[in-house]
Amino acid sequence: MSVIAAKTQKLSLVQAVTDGLRTVMKDQEEVLVLGEDVGKNGGVFRATEGLQQEFGEDRVIDTPLSEAGIVGTAIGLAINGFLPVVEMQFLGFIYPAFEQIMSHATRIRMRTMSRFHVPMVIRAPYGAGVKAPEIHSDSVEAIFTHMPGIKVVCPSNPYDAKGLLIASIEDPDPVLFLEPMRSYRAFKDEVPTERYTVEIGKANRLKEGTDVTVIAWGAMIPLAMKAAENAQKQNIHCEVIDLRTLYPLDRETISTSVQKTGRAVIIHEAHATSGLGADILSLIQDTSFLYLKAPIQRVTGFDVPVPFYTLEKHYLPDENRIIEAIKRAVNF
Amino acid sequence: MVEVKLHDIGEGMTEGEIVSYLVKVGDRVQSDQPLVEVQTDKMTAELPSPTTGIVKEILVSEGSLVPIGTTILIIESGQTKQVQHEVTVSSNRNKAEKTNRLILAAPYTRKIARELGIDIEKINGTGPAGRITDEDVYNYGTKAVEPMAPKIKEVTNNEVESDEIPFKGRRKQIASLMSKSLFTIPHVTHFEEVDMTNLLDCKQQCKDSGVNVSVAAFFIKAIQLTLIKYPIFNSVLDEDHGVIKLKKEYNIGIAVDVEDGLIVPVIPHVEQKTVKAIHEEMKIAIEKAQNNTLTKADISNGTFTISNVGPLGGIGATPIINHPQTALIAFHKTKKKPVVINDEIVIRSMMNLSMSFDHRVADGATAVRFTNEFVHLIENPSRMLLEMK
Repeated sequence: MSVIAAKTQKLSLVQAVTDGLRTVMKDQEEVLVLGEDVGKNGGVFRATEGLQQEFGEDRVIDTPLSEAGIVGTAIGLAINGFLPVVEMQFLGFIYPAFEQIMSHATRIRMRTMSRFHVPMVIRAPYGAGVKAPEIHSDSVEAIFTHMPGIKVVCPSNPYDAKGLLIASIEDPDPVLFLEPMRSYRAFKDEVPTERYTVEIGKANRLKEGTDVTVIAWGAMIPLAMKAAENAQKQNIHCEVIDLRTLYPLDRETISTSVQKTGRAVIIHEAHATSGLGADILSLIQDTSFLYLKAPIQRVTGFDVPVPFYTLEKHYLPDENRIIEAIKRAVNF
Repeated sequence: MVEVKLHDIGEGMTEGEIVSYLVKVGDRVQSDQPLVEVQTDKMTAELPSPTTGIVKEILVSEGSLVPIGTTILIIESGQTKQVQHEVTVSSNRNKAEKTNRLILAAPYTRKIARELGIDIEKINGTGPAGRITDEDVYNYGTKAVEPMAPKIKEVTNNEVESDEIPFKGRRKQIASLMSKSLFTIPHVTHFEEVDMTNLLDCKQQCKDSGVNVSVAAFFIKAIQLTLIKYPIFNSVLDEDHGVIKLKKEYNIGIAVDVEDGLIVPVIPHVEQKTVKAIHEEMKIAIEKAQNNTLTKADISNGTFTISNVGPLGGIGATPIINHPQTALIAFHKTKKKPVVINDEIVIRSMMNLSMSFDHRVADGATAVRFTNEFVHLIENPSRMLLEMK
């Protein structure tokens, strides 16, 4: 934890996002919120609830249904001194805005030799497990971690959600802020009422262990922790690392841990092929090859579109699959 | 030219002793004809000829201890006449071996080997699919530093003079198995007294009727009958998979004391055999052990072991379990002793037994119940008859 809070309140992850937005908007008039139904309606997941009443229609803006338009507008605002926070209703809805992000948001700093930069945040609920329809459950972070110029951040708990969101708004470059919608209201944490940040680019070691390093983020963290506790009963001591930032990766935390344990299990709900897991695997092989006692294991979603809700749980990594992978690594 | 090499003839052996040659230079040999007798850590085996031809050269003398992969002899199988060519082949031998061998080892294992200055390609793996484990490297490392010994001897010149027995072969194998067992299994031993009088009477009756069976054969049958009731002692703890495997076969090993150490031939499927059959098999097994002709099959797949030290003497012991089994019983000297039965002092033939068990797998109370049942069968041989299938 980066601050010792004098005052805290118990918040869910989505409430911590609202609290983070409110905290920054109170301090800085340049912070704007844009998106479909973010104003009067308070957002599809109520993440911006009450903000329009508090800060007015000029700062919490209901936009037309046009993701490319929203992101394009936000880029213009950001270049001209505002700090826009865009809400995508679901990460899967970001595809129409892809061109704006890839061709402009990520490149303006380089294109203008740093005369202009894009201090913009795109918030996007992502992931499966809430029985949403097609496209609503996508976990396509790898599409964005592939592109230099945009940071990708993904909190797994309310404390990190507020701290990372504020850090993302303060960041001078575009940040894609992924919110695990499965964890939105799953549990509550003590969250400081004041303004604080969680540093972008730093992973968090949630549990110390000696036998195997379990690497995950977002909605996979509660599963990883459960599996690690279960493994502990079988005398396997897992070290659990919450990446928190997916780009740039915290190379040091990952390699230090794997060099200690000699084994790694990577968990993500996105498809396996060209998923971020492959990159982490490659990072480990670059930094820690000589320490490896077993092949690195991956537990991921399958290479199919996220299926409808009757099959959703078969698609997603579950505790059993994670435990099996941990055992494969340890018993190799 | 075909080089006959010492290969691994079972259970990840690393070296073997050349006992004797069955052929000599110039002999014509057929494919699969036995060429040489090799004594491994556990058994004696014959190496068959890989080809038909003439024995050209014998490279290792009888009595030598050689590592796996060593060329023992050369057979000329083709029309090769050029001596020059032959020399080239043999001088390149080591190099060729090294590059041709496929090594399975995790990066970390390779790193350890490199740090210890060990050529990993010389190590034989004991892991899955022959993979070299960290342990293999460390074990090899211990071997590799052996040449250091004479140096140490020079330094300590006030050492008491001693005769030296080479610590190798079966002695070394026994040492490593015993250490492994004692280091991995938390041993608990408990003792019990058995009244042998009735069993000895029973044995005498059998003898009078013309069938002579040893007491040990009765023990083996009684053990098997007891194991049916307490299968936990007929098990193997598989820590890797987190299970205790209760074996469905009752293969009882008998620790046999032979000249160069202890060896444990196994009587398989005791549950299908009569006391008489057990006795006959046991006789053959002991004979084979003494003649050093046990094969790998004869000493494999034991599920429980007994050690009958009675004939030698001794009243108690803390036997070491035959890893990875769960328990072992040792039987001691039987002697006549005054015993109180129904408040009267009578003379009975009494024997002590010592039962060691793996305390991870079973507890003391179960072990005591196990020996109680065994003792009950031995003290009431007629009961044993009723239990037999």
